[in-house]
Amino acid sequence: MANMIRKASVFEIANHWTMALSCLVLAITGYGFLFHLEGLNSVFGSYAQMKVIHNYAGIVFSVNIFFTLFLYLPDALSWGSDDITWLLKGGGYLSKGHVNVPPQGKINSGQKLFYLAFLVAGLAISISGFVIWLMPGVKNYILLSHLAHNIAFDFIVFAIPAHGYLGSLANPGTLQIMISGMVPVEWARKRHGKWVREMGY
Amino acid sequence: MSRKALLISPELCMGCRGCQTACKVWNDLPGEKTTNRGSSENPPNLSQDVYNKIRYVEVPSESNPMRWLFVSQRCMHCDDAGCMKICPAPGALFKTKEGAVAFDKDKCIGCKLCVAGCPFDVPRYDGKDKISKCDLCAGRIAEGMAPACAKTCPTGAIRFGDRDGLVAEAQKAGYGKLYGETDLGGLGSLYAFRDAPKFYGMDESPVIPESLVFWHKVLKPLAYWGVGASVAASLVHYLVIGPHKEEEEVRKDG
Repeated sequence: MANMIRKASVFEIANHWTMALSCLVLAITGYGFLFHLEGLNSVFGSYAQMKVIHNYAGIVFSVNIFFTLFLYLPDALSWGSDDITWLLKGGGYLSKGHVNVPPQGKINSGQKLFYLAFLVAGLAISISGFVIWLMPGVKNYILLSHLAHNIAFDFIVFAIPAHGYLGSLANPGTLQIMISGMVPVEWARKRHGKWVREMGY
Repeated sequence: MSRKALLISPELCMGCRGCQTACKVWNDLPGEKTTNRGSSENPPNLSQDVYNKIRYVEVPSESNPMRWLFVSQRCMHCDDAGCMKICPAPGALFKTKEGAVAFDKDKCIGCKLCVAGCPFDVPRYDGKDKISKCDLCAGRIAEGMAPACAKTCPTGAIRFGDRDGLVAEAQKAGYGKLYGETDLGGLGSLYAFRDAPKFYGMDESPVIPESLVFWHKVLKPLAYWGVGASVAASLVHYLVIGPHKEEEEVRKDG
């Protein structure tokens, strides 16, 4: 067996899965509200029930978003010239052949950018969701929150399929981070060279 | 079925409030305990139990120091209704074939977004958090009867009929453009004003909040096409460029 290194803690894995599931429930019910998908009544029972599920899934999602602050924010905020080069080269994703990209830390420049954008959208959609839920009838707050909620929703439903693709099919082996949290050291060295060195391998 | 409407002429109103009483009787709404606010206007505002009311506006001027306007207020039954646009629960708010914006409490989920979507501050909520407002007596007009308020009005200040006919009659009677004739796709509550709308306590040009229009025209389609584009782009990338391959990741400085 290859030498393994822990890329994600059990807590991080649990947080990611809970967030993925709450996000899925929120998106499905969200589309139900947005486009009046009455077929969803056969899953959720009724629109009133769907609202309750949406609201409580929102609490779960908000808590998950909060925990990510401690999991990814410090890494996502550390930027250097390597990150710029990495982004300019599109992370090597834009051509069939091999592209030399600068060595990366625990999360790569694309992941940093994704996390920061998702954090902003996640906080916006959580806070605006609570305003819509808890301050009904306060017209200006509701209109602003409704707008923020929907802008963030558009970003999230656009970003998540790509995030899922990059974390699975596009990078064979990556999904293991979300399952066991362990990856082969050699695999990690190629993708997160700086971090592997810092870890003393 | 031609669109029905109310034509409200404040100058004909004598402020008897028979319409308020008739509305309560037909819709089985309890009375509300109010306090003396130093005005004859009572109750002070629309509520879960007040679907219509007369607004009393004093407009004293040099030529007429005693000018007192009585303006019947209720749901405007917009053709392009902000409440219906924002409502996430299908069927909770709906248009009757006569053009009334009616509601179904069983389908209302109590989110109160319609309150933010309405340009006229009309929707209210009952004790069970269900929408509560004027529905133009949808049950009565479906049977060819006039709404309770119009039926009971002794002076013709509230008239009910075919919308086109009411507009034509008002024009014949010398009114210019009616309030609500074209606003929001045309209102179902039309007002024959002698003066600027502000004297009657109304917005000059009521509109659906801009953010709501932007959401409806841009953000909603984007939620539909965005998720599709993202899935499609991932698929195209997988087929055209393909996944990262291990053997290509040969780097010395790792």
